[in-house]
Amino acid sequence: MTAPARSVPILVPRAGLRVVVESDRRRVPIGGWILVASVLFAAFLGMIWSRTALDHNAFDIQEIEYQIEIEEARYWELRLEAARLQDPARITTLAEEMGMVYPDQVRTIVVSGVGGPGADAEDRWAELKGLLSASP
Amino acid sequence: MTGLGPTGATKPGRGRGRLVAVGVALLLAWGGVGYRLVVVQGVQAATFSDHGEGQRVQRETLAADRGTIFDRDGRELAVTVDSVTVYANPLEIDDPATVARLLAPLIGEPPGEILTRLAADSTFVYVARQLERDQAQRVKEALLPGIYFLDEPKRAYPLGSLTAHVVGFVQPDDNRGLEGLELQYDTPLAGTPGELVVERDPQGRTIPHGDYSIVPAEPGSDLVLTIKTEIQFAATEALQRGIDRTGAVSGTVVVLQPETGEVLAMVTLPGYDPNDRSGIDSSLYRNRAVTDLFEPGSTQKLVTIAAALESGLVDPWTAFDIPEAIEIEDTRFEDFTVHPDQLTVTEIVAYSSNLGTILVGELLGARLMHEHMYGFGEGRATGVDFPGEAGGILSRPEDWCPSTCVAGTSIGYHVAVTPLQMAQVYATVANDGVWVQPHLVREIVDGHGAKMPVIAHERQVVSAETAGRVRLMLEAVVDLGTGGSASVIGYRVGGKTGTTQQFDVETGEYSEEKVVASFIGMAPINDPKVVVAVVLDSPLEDASGGSGAAPIFAEVMEAALHQLGVPPDGS
Repeated sequence: MTAPARSVPILVPRAGLRVVVESDRRRVPIGGWILVASVLFAAFLGMIWSRTALDHNAFDIQEIEYQIEIEEARYWELRLEAARLQDPARITTLAEEMGMVYPDQVRTIVVSGVGGPGADAEDRWAELKGLLSASP
Repeated sequence: MTGLGPTGATKPGRGRGRLVAVGVALLLAWGGVGYRLVVVQGVQAATFSDHGEGQRVQRETLAADRGTIFDRDGRELAVTVDSVTVYANPLEIDDPATVARLLAPLIGEPPGEILTRLAADSTFVYVARQLERDQAQRVKEALLPGIYFLDEPKRAYPLGSLTAHVVGFVQPDDNRGLEGLELQYDTPLAGTPGELVVERDPQGRTIPHGDYSIVPAEPGSDLVLTIKTEIQFAATEALQRGIDRTGAVSGTVVVLQPETGEVLAMVTLPGYDPNDRSGIDSSLYRNRAVTDLFEPGSTQKLVTIAAALESGLVDPWTAFDIPEAIEIEDTRFEDFTVHPDQLTVTEIVAYSSNLGTILVGELLGARLMHEHMYGFGEGRATGVDFPGEAGGILSRPEDWCPSTCVAGTSIGYHVAVTPLQMAQVYATVANDGVWVQPHLVREIVDGHGAKMPVIAHERQVVSAETAGRVRLMLEAVVDLGTGGSASVIGYRVGGKTGTTQQFDVETGEYSEEKVVASFIGMAPINDPKVVVAVVLDSPLEDASGGSGAAPIFAEVMEAALHQLGVPPDGS
């Protein structure tokens, strides 16, 4: 007994359709993506670096400000020390230890016309002295 | 494949059950995380945010730097420096005796006193306040347990007791003024505190890019005083020698520049060191030149004579017959100097005649005398920029007793003044009759460097002619009268002695032994640049104005004239 032969369907492109072979031009441009990713990564690293640098600088500034405070404090300590060194009592004591003394006699040199009393006052004083000497 | 039983297959229900159990566990775990996330980030977000901020964000008060006090030449009289305070937590100290023994040489205190503090049942005790940095560093290097350090500003007075009564001092805890100019000018000196808002990490470092805002502190103003340190020193030395010589209880010197009202020196002895006030009697803090009253005695005669001259009742050569004594009711007035029976007004001043001055005073009468006394500034505060100034005592003329008040007041009793007030009377005569308000601060320099000079009030009290006449009479006191010890080589000096019996409160009478010796004068007499007042309280030797106070005056006046570069006018 012979079974009836079955027909095998044949794949035939339908009308209006055509097979297109994939070309290289349609492949994903991986090099470009790598470049973009690298730039982004570099930017990211740069941002992290700049942030770290800013933080570092901030700490440096803080340290410098602290040093300024210390130097200012030192400045005032030195001014205080200078003021103490200028104390007349200290200088007098040191001068006496060095054998310095006040002069026994003071000579005053009066320069004519400099710092002298006015004629008016002289006259008035002469008048008063005359009156005083005339008293009993 | 392992796990297959002899039957060659697992039960599919058991495997699915485990998977479901793991899934549920994961779901619950993630659910818990999610729930907590919602709670933390959503429901309680504000609470946690505030809590975190409270830990990181700190508000700090920025203390304003207290202004510096300078003398007129720019020398520091009061400076604020950094210091370190050492404190302890006694509960952290296991062996306080050893710690006290190690601390003692470092801070210069007996171990016993330190141990007493370290044994306290407290978490905070001061060990040493306001040490200098070097000293504190040595304590730090000792690495003692339970010992901590705190930065504190400290007020220092480099000249010590020399200007203590003028400058005063501050309270160590908060640097607020307690005495003297530190108190008078506390507000401008203190400045305005600022505020810093900042985020800090657990180590206390500022978090970069965190919250940060600052209101800077406004630094306190500096004060430039009228005091000249060299004159202050000369006055202090001369007064100390005078006190040693006379045995006086205390003494006061005031040096004024009559044209400007500037106080060049103001000394009270005994003094104190404002840098170390431990064990000091607080009565020593008083600036007696401003706070203490005395009856001016014969130095008051200048006011009586000036008033009579100004009123036209007498002139310098008007002569008076001087009686042996004047008795008013129970009071007998006498002269203590030998002089002719008839004296001119000039001679009354030169010989310091009580009786002659009383006669002049009787011519004036109470009302006219009071008017001039008040004009010269007696009975009212001078308004000097110093706290606690006494106004003096001067009764209204209608309250004067009808018997001895005019006589007594004319020679300096029944009236009480401060040394500054009396110096101011003489400064008025020195300044051609113009009273200029005395002041201790020359200018205030704010934190930005802007200078605000102090303006002194003025008023004409007597005419320039009267003032000139009185000055010549004062010169006669030094040249011919009771003030010979006040002369200064090279200069024409004028002044007046005063020796006043002190009123004894216990007996209700004037003491025969206790006196106030004073001398007030000016130079050069033709155009006075300096007025000096010296007051000695209860001298035992040389207990008079002429022998006790006048030599001190001469020393101070000579130093002041030289320091100011006043050319000699011949003598």
